[in-house]
Amino acid sequence: MTDLLVVEGLTRYFGGLAAVTDLHFRVREGEIFGIIGPNGAGKTTAFSMIAGSLAPSAGSIRFRGREIAAWPSHRVVQLGICRTHQIPRPFTGMTVSENVEVALRYGRREAARRGAVAAEVGRLLEFTGLSAWAATPTGALSTGNRKRLELARALATHPVLLLCDEICGGLNPAETRDLLALLRRLREAGITILYIEHDMRAVMGTCDRILVLNYGEKLAEGTPQEIQRNEAVIEAYLGRRTTARPAGDPGGRL
Amino acid sequence: MSGAPASPVRSCLAAAASLLVLAGLLLVPLIGASGNTIRLVLITLLWVATSLAWNLLGGVAGQVSFGFAVFYGLGAYAAAFAINGGINPYAAFAAGGLTAALASVLIGIPTFRLRGPYFAIATIGVNEAVRIVMSNLEITGGASGYRLLATGRFSQGEHYYTALGLAGLAFLISWFVMRSPFGLALRAIREDQDAAADLGVPPFRCKLAVHALAALLTGMAGGAFARYTAYIHPDGVFAFTTSISILLMPVIGGLGTLLGPVIGAVVYSVVQEEMVVNFPQFHLFLYGALLILIVLFEPGGLVGLGRRIARGLRGRLRGGPGDPVVAPAPLSRVGP
Repeated sequence: MTDLLVVEGLTRYFGGLAAVTDLHFRVREGEIFGIIGPNGAGKTTAFSMIAGSLAPSAGSIRFRGREIAAWPSHRVVQLGICRTHQIPRPFTGMTVSENVEVALRYGRREAARRGAVAAEVGRLLEFTGLSAWAATPTGALSTGNRKRLELARALATHPVLLLCDEICGGLNPAETRDLLALLRRLREAGITILYIEHDMRAVMGTCDRILVLNYGEKLAEGTPQEIQRNEAVIEAYLGRRTTARPAGDPGGRL
Repeated sequence: MSGAPASPVRSCLAAAASLLVLAGLLLVPLIGASGNTIRLVLITLLWVATSLAWNLLGGVAGQVSFGFAVFYGLGAYAAAFAINGGINPYAAFAAGGLTAALASVLIGIPTFRLRGPYFAIATIGVNEAVRIVMSNLEITGGASGYRLLATGRFSQGEHYYTALGLAGLAFLISWFVMRSPFGLALRAIREDQDAAADLGVPPFRCKLAVHALAALLTGMAGGAFARYTAYIHPDGVFAFTTSISILLMPVIGGLGTLLGPVIGAVVYSVVQEEMVVNFPQFHLFLYGALLILIVLFEPGGLVGLGRRIARGLRGRLRGGPGDPVVAPAPLSRVGP
């Protein structure tokens, strides 16, 4: 598999605080790549830099071999990278289908050229289960549906790489299950997904590979099984063992 | 904000009503209306054009500018120079509009880096700076003003139809923009600029474009005003109160709607006409009070108020609750 996204030495300071320090990772085409870490680990900061919402202090971000660090977000979208927001940001004065239409019209050019905008909007709303709310002003949507709308809008830009920021945060288990099933279907459709999540069960069951961040630095990287066994990760999440335990005790489960 | 998608029946009704209003306006000078009435309608039509123009930037795209007198004034002066230079008046209006549009780009490049209230404050600064410069330049006649040379016979009818044409143009452009993908992008920028950019909308470019479009219309209206009054001075056309008036009309009528700015301009002009003569300062109090009431109780302006009353009446006729609000949607359990 080829590398779709290559991040090297990515660093971001907020004043004197290093939110992300010298981060390296590669996302392969067609995988779901998870980024996890405790609160304040720099997940969303790293994410915003890739999406173009935030300029890196240093480092390089290459997408399909092209350097995109410090590109504005609307140009990054044109290349095929689109993000969702952790806290949904619908255009509240507009209906659900209008929200999707904006993304369809202004996302990747391939998307707009397809014509039949209404049909495409309908297809996306059906895929995300929002058809019944097409004409609803987004201000009246539930949290779960707002999350779905974030996904529908991002998909409307026809992304190659989809960045999902805590898409299951604040959802009940059934809604989480539904959304994760959608993500897996997207992977089958050939979309590469970079996925930040807090919900461990969601990440472990969905991602092909996982990067663990702690205090803005890479702590570990590997398959879900490798991460679950990683001592450094367990320590970051659960704290250091204070008493000796018999060998073979995993110390804690993630 | 801009209302529900119009049904075919409603669209037909709206088109018929627009044609009726247009026919009425076309007839005004022909049915023996007094010169004074024609003057009032003419000025109102010019305000309708500027009010619609401001609404594109302030209402649809949500960028509140206190600096539209700059475009009105530049349009007025550019057209006045052109007319005195012997250029066809209609070409002169276009020159006024283009001058204003060019200025809008120069002003927009630095100020659109600011957001919300900071943008608004910056435009106040620009407005004052331009007014002071214009008051002290030799070429504008300074504070004593600038007189247009009379060319041919004065025809109030011609001025009237110019104003009507401009108002119609502004209405058509607004109608197109609000139905276009560009209008959708502007509304997205109004709601959340960063989220819009994350979906591929280039906010800076869109704002510059709508700013230029609004300035073009405002500048042409300024040009028509200059030709009509044949005398302009910086403390008139570049005055901060002109900027306030241009902003006040769409706010009174209903921001981001098509009819709101028109209604607002009519209300403003009539109030101005009735008040200024009898109570020279009272209209300021009235606008202030109106603005506070609108911001506090009916952000949708007169159009919003009308819609609310219509909803209430319909609800009463059906015997249902008077003011149905959008019910929060139930939590989705729709599987993929």
